[in-house]
Amino acid sequence: MDFGQVQLDAEQQAFLDDVHAFVAEHVTDDVLEEERRTGSGFNERVHLALGAKGWIMPAWPAERGGAGLDPVRVQLLDLVTRRSGMPTVTLGTTRLVVKAVERYAEPGLAADVLPGIAAGTVRCCLGYTEPDGGSDIAAAKTRAVSDGDEWVINGSKIFTTGAQNCQYAFLIARTDPELPKHRGLTMFLIPLGSDGVAIQGIRTFGGERTNIVYYSDVRISDRYRLGGVNDGWTVLRGPLDEEHNFGQKGSAVQIGGSSLGATYVYPLQRALDRALAWACGTTRPDGSRPIDDRSVRYRLGQVAMDLQAGLMTPGPMGRVKASDALVHGAAELMDLVGSAALLSEGSPGAEAAGDIEFAHRFAQGTATYGGTVEIFRQMIAQHVLGLPRPAYPGSKVLVSNKK
Amino acid sequence: MGGLLVDEFELRYADYSLSSDQEAVRDAFAEFFRNECPSERVRAAEPLGYDEKLWRQLADMGAASMGLPEQAGGDGASLVDLLLVAEEAGAALAPVPFIEHVAASRALAGSPGAPGELLAEAASGRRILALAMEPAGSRSPQLARQLVPGGAVARAVLALDGEALVVVDADEPPSPVANQGSTPLAWWDLVGGRRQRLAEGTLAEILYRRARAEWKLLTAAALTGLTERALGIAVEFAKTRETMGVPIGSLQGVSFPLADVAIGVSGARNMIRRAGWMLEHEPTEARHLVPAAFAYAARVATHGTTTAAHMQGGLGFTIEADASLYFLRAKGWSLLGGDPAEDLIAVADALAADYQ
Repeated sequence: MDFGQVQLDAEQQAFLDDVHAFVAEHVTDDVLEEERRTGSGFNERVHLALGAKGWIMPAWPAERGGAGLDPVRVQLLDLVTRRSGMPTVTLGTTRLVVKAVERYAEPGLAADVLPGIAAGTVRCCLGYTEPDGGSDIAAAKTRAVSDGDEWVINGSKIFTTGAQNCQYAFLIARTDPELPKHRGLTMFLIPLGSDGVAIQGIRTFGGERTNIVYYSDVRISDRYRLGGVNDGWTVLRGPLDEEHNFGQKGSAVQIGGSSLGATYVYPLQRALDRALAWACGTTRPDGSRPIDDRSVRYRLGQVAMDLQAGLMTPGPMGRVKASDALVHGAAELMDLVGSAALLSEGSPGAEAAGDIEFAHRFAQGTATYGGTVEIFRQMIAQHVLGLPRPAYPGSKVLVSNKK
Repeated sequence: MGGLLVDEFELRYADYSLSSDQEAVRDAFAEFFRNECPSERVRAAEPLGYDEKLWRQLADMGAASMGLPEQAGGDGASLVDLLLVAEEAGAALAPVPFIEHVAASRALAGSPGAPGELLAEAASGRRILALAMEPAGSRSPQLARQLVPGGAVARAVLALDGEALVVVDADEPPSPVANQGSTPLAWWDLVGGRRQRLAEGTLAEILYRRARAEWKLLTAAALTGLTERALGIAVEFAKTRETMGVPIGSLQGVSFPLADVAIGVSGARNMIRRAGWMLEHEPTEARHLVPAAFAYAARVATHGTTTAAHMQGGLGFTIEADASLYFLRAKGWSLLGGDPAEDLIAVADALAADYQ
């Protein structure tokens, strides 16, 4: 057990200074402003600069395009870059795909793709969810049909965030509709430049851009298949477990939060910081400040308590708690600050620089990203508490195919 | 900014793991309570909520003295070690005044005026100590008489009177008062009784605040153990009880509320351990962590035991069901530390200090 300040040795301090210098040089106000405007979760110049430092795959040795960082340095890098507001969505999805490529791609494809990933020229997005499928990924209906040594892909995927900036989609497709639901799936690494791929942007009220991607008679070589035919669920489990943080032990020494949802807490942290500054720095008509009011302090204390719980609840349980803390906390801080909290950043009279207003909108998406909080509650019920899985008619077979 | 609103450039470890020694302490006490304190023994100790033989056994294991410094006859155990014991005691609903005794004894041992005989009796567990939860004395006459947790079995109570830390002692504890949590509560006269001064001025204030913070964290740990055990009972019920041909635990109307209790327990445990570690290593960083951990544990316990009882339907509402033991103590223990809303206000006070 240790919650002390990290005492960095001279080399680690030099590394940290290097990361701060990188952030100061590359994560500029212009980059942050562009991210606020586009919500794309990606900036090519920053991404390539990360690649040049070996920091896209920082633990990889230099000869593979990494920087050979030890776990402490990897965490320092992650903490400082995330807190800087650097767009990291596409960086995150790319890293999730790497393990599956390393393990399942045929050697020629891996050799083509992995150096580019480390350098930043190759990015990957996730083609899991379908427009009528929600979080039940194994219900995928997008079809891949074998034709000689090619596959023909037809279907559509939604929430393929970052597709407009990526070279490949890590796609799950149905290759045998007659097999039980989880057994008729195959994974592919689809080149997004292929004929028949159409990317259409979708905006969220949290400010992000995501996509729906249509695949119409997209022909790809069999070399883009990852793992065995109809063995896609096995291939997917690795990245999915990593995204969900199940089936692996966290490192004993972590820096920052232990919660899988720690990054969801940062917007609440900024919003609470603004609310505290407002409460201590505002004078009401009767001459008092909001912070002098016990009910205001009680409400601020409650948000702060839940924020801490969001940071400290471990692993997948923290993912749920962090999202709940942000959703409820941001709404509460809006009420506390009052109508001026509604005003957009830069508007006359806007309070809290728009940070509370942003947190309230952004919060709603965190209950869905990477699997909804309901999916996580189900996993906690089954895998943590050992409760029986629900017996739904479509949990093992595709109901629609049985009609 | 403080430890909650983490400075962008302040890097802290978030290592919640236990050492092998700590795991051994936890496992030893878990085994002790599992063997010695089944729910029959908890029921047998009602309504007083004290089992003298169990307390003697626990003291023989060193529980009364382990948190005292070596020169006071203890083992110098850390607050985190004590939190592990409190969590196991809470899980078993052990009818022993471990928390009160430990918090008060540690303050006594830190006092320059501590009588040697009292300290020796406290270390052995022969004389049970308790702690008055509010500052008492001439400036607050209405608090001269207080409901003291553990007060119905204690023969000495530590209190803050003005600028002095005092110990009020009695040959026999006052009469117990019946209460929802079946815990040994009694009214103590903290001003008129037989008293000795233990410490003065700033030191008295520091020792008292520290003792109260430790009482809150130890109680929070006990509440977390209590809630987790109540959850376990409800989970076992939900696995086997069937409705319309399926186990009720497969229904999300049952499994999701139980999952939320598990989420609360795991978060409360980490918050308590972090706050305990901070209280020992960087007390100023703990100013907001301790009240937040206590308020969260109290909320998780109230919500968690309500859920655990309700998921057993009407059966969970009966006195025969062990769920009732857990439900009644969740509030019966947590409220002894005062309204958790005051703790949330304390959280905001600690944070706002950085913005004034």
